[in-house]
Amino acid sequence: MGSIKFNHVYKNYRGESRPAVNDFHLTIEEGEFLVLVGPSGCGKSTTLRMLAGLEEISSGELYIDDKFVNYVSPKDRDIAMVFQNYALYPNLSVYENIALGLKLRKTAKFDIELRVNRVAKVLEISHLLDRKPSQLSGGQKQRVALGRAIAREPQVFLMDEPLSNLDAKLRAQTRAELIKLQADLKRTTVYVTHDQVEAMTMGTRIVVMKDGVIQQVAAPRELYDKPANLFVAGFIGSPQMNFIEGVVTLEEGRYYFTNKRLKLLLPREYDVQFERLTRSVRNVIMGVRPEHVLLKPGEADGEEYVAGVVQMTEVTGADSYVYAAIGDYKVIARTEPEISYRKDDVPAIGFNKGKLHFFDVTTGESLAAGGTEA
Amino acid sequence: MIRKLRRVTPFQVVLVTAFTALAAFMSIPIIFILNHAFKPQSELFLFPPRIFVQDPSFRNFEILLLHASNAAVPFTRYLFNSIVVVGLTLVGVIVVSTMAAYVIAKYRFHFKGLIMGMITLSLMFAPETVSIPRYLIISGLHINDTYFGHILPALASPVAVFMLIGFISQIPNELLEAAKIDGASQLGIFTKMVLPLSIPAIATISILTFQGAWGDVEPSTLFMQSETMRTLAFYVNSLISGLQNSVAGQNMAAAAGLLMFIPNLIIFLLFQKRVMETMVHSGIK
Ligand SMILES: Nc1ncnc2c1ncn2[C@@H]1O[C@H](COP(=O)(O)OP(=O)(O)OP(=O)(O)O)[C@@H](O)[C@H]1O
Ligand SMILES: [Mg+2]
Repeated sequence: MGSIKFNHVYKNYRGESRPAVNDFHLTIEEGEFLVLVGPSGCGKSTTLRMLAGLEEISSGELYIDDKFVNYVSPKDRDIAMVFQNYALYPNLSVYENIALGLKLRKTAKFDIELRVNRVAKVLEISHLLDRKPSQLSGGQKQRVALGRAIAREPQVFLMDEPLSNLDAKLRAQTRAELIKLQADLKRTTVYVTHDQVEAMTMGTRIVVMKDGVIQQVAAPRELYDKPANLFVAGFIGSPQMNFIEGVVTLEEGRYYFTNKRLKLLLPREYDVQFERLTRSVRNVIMGVRPEHVLLKPGEADGEEYVAGVVQMTEVTGADSYVYAAIGDYKVIARTEPEISYRKDDVPAIGFNKGKLHFFDVTTGESLAAGGTEA
Repeated sequence: MIRKLRRVTPFQVVLVTAFTALAAFMSIPIIFILNHAFKPQSELFLFPPRIFVQDPSFRNFEILLLHASNAAVPFTRYLFNSIVVVGLTLVGVIVVSTMAAYVIAKYRFHFKGLIMGMITLSLMFAPETVSIPRYLIISGLHINDTYFGHILPALASPVAVFMLIGFISQIPNELLEAAKIDGASQLGIFTKMVLPLSIPAIATISILTFQGAWGDVEPSTLFMQSETMRTLAFYVNSLISGLQNSVAGQNMAAAAGLLMFIPNLIIFLLFQKRVMETMVHSGIK
């Protein structure tokens, strides 16, 4: 119940030269919480709307529960959708909003009442049932929208940035509730967001999209640890991963990452990545997350640690981030808040060598195997 | 703090005074019609004319009724015709215009631009310029002397469609999509979502349409041959113009003027209230 299969799905909007969704090919298991994430305009909503049946599929096939649904109307797909602006019916009361879908499906009246009340209780909106949507706060509207989706007990929930209109605190709270709700209901959920925190915390799997193309599909941890390309590496994680250009050289059987300022002896575990590179000059981009940039006061040794200049620091509370420059190369390092660096300090900067990422300069692909599905 | 906010600024004083004056000026014709109808003959011909009646009487209405009861076609027949025509026109215009506007506002289809262009273009025609084509169409369809002949020309109401397009296109698409997912049929979406949400606009076009249809003499004059198919507006109009120079005519004209005006006023007040109510309570934006 509730598995979804996209088979090379494309969406071409009329008058647009580039497809909004380009070769979307993915199978979603039943009960999965799949998050679509990507920058604005990358085709997340379009994908979701095709799944909902609100947008025609230009080419490719879509299956829900192994049933071909390209031409099935939204109401017959057994889905429910939560919209970003909630889309509550302004002329109906909260109760009627939640009940409408059931009523239109000819559910018995006592059953409707039962279900609406149960949903209202779960979402703690029982006291609001008589109100009109215009008399609700943003958070309450959001709950009603959720309630409307849940009451029908569809096989698939579709959510398009449902939390983006809430303030930060309410968003965090609702996020936690949504996770719990989904775990209880065990319904397939496809969730669109451009917020990577939401993506990382909610999804059992995350699809990162850019310009209509899937960049990577992976579990949150894997996405963070093994980004398939530069885009994913930069998109997931905040502050974003540091990227440093350089060349990989081979000296006496060992690989080094070198550029004007650095010469890092790389652990042997990276050897397989570089052996596949046949070009003599191996231009790469090294990626390293802020938490794997090491700072220590004092002199650089020129090997493991190089000299840097602090340009700015940022304390977020639990962490503090140091923006430093190694020559022309800029890096951000996460440090303990207790150790305070000030502008123009010259700490020694090193890297946690087990946690480096290497990307091909021209294609942006990760050199690590297994990062991509394709 | 609150007191400070509530304090009336000089600008507000000027504004309120100006608008009050304007409103008073605008209401002069209404006050005049009201008073005029109750003026006895002596006051009707007073010079300089007075706005307010000194010695109100129902004499004018009596004369009017007397005259009407002597006519070949009873007064009530004209009234009945008017009610039927105006009622059907109102319903027809609302149905046709809301449907047309909904489709144009929310759907994509071939020649939509052309159709929109034609509607916009037809806004620019003065009613007189289309009288002859209308006559040709009505007689071509052989619906002279029928109620349909009264109603058909009024059904295509570019003003109504235009206003409704503006209003309906503001209804968020997500709302209609949510209804679609919830299982509403096309007709269901139209009747349960689009219509209730468009009530302010529908009220507005109802006022306009009512006033147009209630006072319109063109179909009665041009498309109806038998007197029994003509409307109250036509009767009053011919009464006034036919008896312009007679003394009794002035009495009747004054009374008839009020009678013709009152339904407009009632409809206006009725719908105006709805317009305000729905605008205050609707949850859109
Ligand atoms: N109805 C439409 N007609 C033409 N182009 C469209 C239409 N809807 C979306 N697009 C285009 O398709 C692309 C993808 O849009 P989509 O709404 O799916 O982006 P998104 O990932 O949801 O972005 P956001 O995070 O801003 O919501 C965009 O380039 C957009 O301009
Ligand atoms: Mg979107």
